[in-house]
Amino acid sequence: MKALMSVGALIGVVGLLTLIGMIFGVVPSNTVRLVEGYMPMQVLSELAIFVAGFAGLSYLLNSMGIVFPRFWQGILFWVFIQTYLKFRIYPPIPFSVRAMYGTVSFVAVFMWVSANEEDWKKFKQPILNVLDANTGFHKALRTMYLILLPLLIGGFSFLTMRPSVDEPIELRTVHPAPPASTKVHGKTYTLQTSQNPYRVNPEGKYDQAYSNKLIVEQSMGRLMAPNANPWDEKAEGYLKYVREGGEIFFQNCHFCHGDNLNGRGLHAFAFNPIPANFTDPGTIAQLQETFIFWRVAKGGIGLPTEGFPWASVMPPWEQHLTTDEIWKVILFEYWHTGYYPRTWD
Amino acid sequence: MGSVTRTKLMSIMALGAMIGLLLLPILVAIPALASDGGSPAAGVKKEGGDAKVEKGKDVYYKTEGIVSGPPAPKTTDSEKDYPRYNFESRVLLWFANQQHLYYGSFVLAVPIFCMIIEFMGVVSKDKALAKRYDQLAYDFIKISLTAYSLTAILGGILIFTFLTLYPAFFQYLSGIFRPVMHIYALMFVAESGTLYIYYYGWDKMKEGFLKWIHLSMSVVLNVIGTVLMFLANSWIGFMMSPAGVDEQGRYLGNIWHVIHTALWNPLNLHRILGNMAFGGGVVAAYAAYRFLSAKNDEERAHYDWMGYIAMALGVSFLIPLPFAGYWLMREVYAYRQQMGITLMGGLLAWLFIIQATMIGILFLSTNYYLWQALGRMRGAEKYQRYIKYLVFLLTCGFLVFITPHTIVMTPAELKAMGGQQHPVLGNYGVMSAKNGGINVIITTTVLSFVWYMRGNKVSTVSWSKFGNIFMGCFFFFAYLNIILLAIYGYYIPANVRVGLSVPQVATTLSCLFFMFALNSVMMKGAKQMGPIEWGKISARSQYALIMLATAFTWMMGLMGYIRSSVRLFWHVNEIMRDNSPWAYTHTVGFAANMISANVLFFWTTIMFVFWLGALAAKKAPVEAKAAVPGRAAAPAVGH
Repeated sequence: MKALMSVGALIGVVGLLTLIGMIFGVVPSNTVRLVEGYMPMQVLSELAIFVAGFAGLSYLLNSMGIVFPRFWQGILFWVFIQTYLKFRIYPPIPFSVRAMYGTVSFVAVFMWVSANEEDWKKFKQPILNVLDANTGFHKALRTMYLILLPLLIGGFSFLTMRPSVDEPIELRTVHPAPPASTKVHGKTYTLQTSQNPYRVNPEGKYDQAYSNKLIVEQSMGRLMAPNANPWDEKAEGYLKYVREGGEIFFQNCHFCHGDNLNGRGLHAFAFNPIPANFTDPGTIAQLQETFIFWRVAKGGIGLPTEGFPWASVMPPWEQHLTTDEIWKVILFEYWHTGYYPRTWD
Repeated sequence: MGSVTRTKLMSIMALGAMIGLLLLPILVAIPALASDGGSPAAGVKKEGGDAKVEKGKDVYYKTEGIVSGPPAPKTTDSEKDYPRYNFESRVLLWFANQQHLYYGSFVLAVPIFCMIIEFMGVVSKDKALAKRYDQLAYDFIKISLTAYSLTAILGGILIFTFLTLYPAFFQYLSGIFRPVMHIYALMFVAESGTLYIYYYGWDKMKEGFLKWIHLSMSVVLNVIGTVLMFLANSWIGFMMSPAGVDEQGRYLGNIWHVIHTALWNPLNLHRILGNMAFGGGVVAAYAAYRFLSAKNDEERAHYDWMGYIAMALGVSFLIPLPFAGYWLMREVYAYRQQMGITLMGGLLAWLFIIQATMIGILFLSTNYYLWQALGRMRGAEKYQRYIKYLVFLLTCGFLVFITPHTIVMTPAELKAMGGQQHPVLGNYGVMSAKNGGINVIITTTVLSFVWYMRGNKVSTVSWSKFGNIFMGCFFFFAYLNIILLAIYGYYIPANVRVGLSVPQVATTLSCLFFMFALNSVMMKGAKQMGPIEWGKISARSQYALIMLATAFTWMMGLMGYIRSSVRLFWHVNEIMRDNSPWAYTHTVGFAANMISANVLFFWTTIMFVFWLGALAAKKAPVEAKAAVPGRAAAPAVGH
C-alpha cells in the first residue's frame, strides 16, 4: 500500500511541478501537449492522475507524521482546479463556463471536507480559531479580515459596476430550429424526410451505409479510407460527387470556412463570430443534411427569428449555386470531416 | 352477527363501493365513446334534404374520420378572445397552473408511498417495525389530506383563470375533450371518496383481514389517481402533438386518437416517476424540518427515519427518471425535429443546461445525505475514507453533464477561443458525453447506496471475499463500459449513437439491480457492528434533504416551462395559433425568476400544510410513538 501511495505521491509532485513550470515558463509550455482529438479524455485523465497523486502525497505526509491541515487541503485543491482550468486548457475557457466549473468544484470540495464529522471538525477548526481569537495571532488575523473583507467586497462591487467598453455578452442560438420545409429554386424540400440525391451506392440508390464506409477516418491526421480517393480519376458515383463538391467548396467556401474546414479560412477572422468549424463534433455532426442544405441555400439572411442577433454573413448560396451543387458541397463536407449526417431512423 | 363480522362486511362493501366508483366513470363513458363523442356532427351537411358526410384526415394518424367538431378558432389580439387585466395573462395562468401541478403531483405521489409503506408494514414479521411502518404511512396520508383540499381549490382557480383569460382556447380544448371531460370530473369525485374512506377507516381496519382490505383500498385509490393524471396528461399531449383532428383542428370523432397522441405515453411515464420523486422529496423535507425543530431524541429518531425512508423512495424513482426523460425527448425528435432542436440545440438549450445542473444537484444531495448517514452506523468508517473518490467521479460526471453546447461568452472571448466551439469543451457539450456523464453520476449513487446498506455490517458468508472482489470488478467494468461507449459515440452515425444509450442505461441498471441483489444476499445474517443510531446524524444531512426537495420543486417548474414554451406561438401545435400579445418566449432570466417565485410560494404554503399536520399531531398524540425507531433491533430491514 505504502509503495503504491509513494508512486501516487511521486506522480502528484511531478505533475504539479510540471504544471507550475509550464505556467511560469520555466519548462516549455508544450512539455505535455494536449493532443487534438484526445483532449477531452486527456483532461479528465490528467485530473484523475492529480487526484491520485494528491491522495498519495497526503498519505505519505501522514505516515511521516507531517499533518497537512484539512482546511488548507480543501482550499488549495480548489485553487489547483481553478489554476488548471485557467492555464492548462487552451484555447482559454470563457469565464461563464469557468464560473460554472468553479462553483461545482467548490461544492465538491465542501462535500469532501464535510463528508464525515471528524473531517468537518478539522476543516472548521482554523475558521473557529480566528473567530474565537484566543491568541494574539488569531486576534490580529480576525482584525485583518474585518478590514480586508469589506474592502474586497467593495472592490469586487466596484469592478462589477464600473462601466465597461467591452461588447456585451451574446447568448446566440447556434442551431436555430429549422422550418418544416424550404423552397429552393422553385422546389419545396421537407427537411425531415428529404435526402441528399448524391449519397448513392454504385446502383444509384440512396445508401448512407455505403457512403459511411468511404468517408475520411476520424483520427489524428484524418486519413482517407483505402480505395476511397475522390481525386482518383477513375472514381465514380459517390466519390466522384464528393470530388465535384470539393471543387465547388474550394471555389466558393474555403475562403471563410478554411481549407481544413475548421472555420479558419483566409477571411475568417474578419468576421465576428468566425465561420462555423465543421470539424467540431458540435456542428454538422449533430445535424441532418437537410438542415445544412437549408442553411447553405438561405444563408445568414434566411435565419429565423430564433437566430437573433443573426450574426452570420453567409450569402444565400441559392443565388449563386444550383441545387445539385449545394447537395454536392454538403456531401464533400461530411466526407472530409469524417462525420455522419444525423438520421432519425 | 358479531361485531367483527359486521365490520368485515362493511369493509368489503366499502372496497366494493370504491371499485364501483372507479368503474362508474368508465361505464358512463362507454356510450360517449361508442357514439364517437356524440357531438353534433358538424361534418354532416344537409343539402336539399340529403345528409352529406364531410370527412377529414387525421394530422397525426393520417386516417380518415368524419368531421365532428368545429375548426380551431382563429383568434385575434382582442378583448373578446383574450380578456385581460393590466397584467400579462400568461404569467397569471402560469402561476395558477404551476401551483395546481405542484399540489396535484404531491397528492398523487403520497398515496403511492402510503401503499408501499403500508404493504411493507403488513408483510413485516417484526411487530414493532410493522407498527412503525403503519404509523409512517398514516403520517404521510395525513399530510396529503390537507394538501388535497388545496389541490382542489387550486384546480378551481386554474379553471376560472382559463375561462376568464383564455376563453376561446379553453372552449376549443374542452370541446375536443368533451367526451372525457365528465369522466375526469367523476374520477375526481371517486378519488375524493376513496381517499376519505381510506384515511378515516385507518384505525378501524388495522388488524388481520381488514388490514388487507384497507391495503386494497390504497391500490384502488392509486389506480384512480393515475387514471386522473393520464387524462390530464392527454390535454398537454394534445397541445404539443395534436392527433385526432384534421388540419383545421376539427375533431374527427375518435377520442382515443385525441388522447393517445405521440407524446402521451412518454409524458405519462415521465410524470409518474417525476411525481414520485417530487413527493418523496417533499416528505423528506417535512421530516427534515421536524428533525431540525425536534425537542428530544425520540422525535429526532423518528423524523430521521422518516426522512430516510422518504428520500430512499424518492430517489428510487429519481434514478430511472433521466431515462424516461431521454425517451420523451427521443419521441419529441421523432414527432418534430424542429421541436427537438428548439429544445436541445436552439432557443431553449440554455434551460436544458440549467436542468442538467438541477439534476446534478439532486444526485449530489442524495449522495451527500447517504455519506452523512454513514455517520450513524458504527463500522461505517471503513467506507468514509474513500468518499473523496466518489466525490471526484460525481464531479467529473457533473462537469461534463452541465457543459453547455452554446457557450455564453463575450465577443472578445469568442475571438480568443477562435470560434463558437471549444476543442475540449465542445466535446462535452454533445449528447454522447452527457449520456456518459449522467450514467457515471447514477452509477456512483448506486455505489453510495451499496456502501450505506452494508455500512454497519460484516458479511459472514463463506464467499464474502470473492463477492466483494466481484462487486468491485462489476462496478469498475460498468464505469469503463459507460465511458468507452460515450467515447465511441463520437465515431458512429447519429442514429446508432442514439441507440448506444440502451447499453449505457442497461449497465447502470445492472449495477442497480444485480449489485443490490448480491449485496442483500451477502449481508443476510451479517455480523452487526452496532445498530443504526437513528437521530444521530448531522444537521447538514437534513439540509441536504431540504436541498433535494427544493431542487425537485425548482426543476419541476423549469421542465414544465420548457415543455410548455416549446410550442412557441401555438396554443395547439400547428393547429391553433396563439395570437395574444404574449405569444413570445420569455428571457431565461425572467423564466428563472418566475420559477423561483412559484417555488417560493409553494414552499410557503406547504409549510402551512406541515404546520397544520403538526397541530393535529399535538392534539391527538399517536399511540405508535411508543415504538421508537432505532431502538427496535431490525437492521436487516431498517435500510
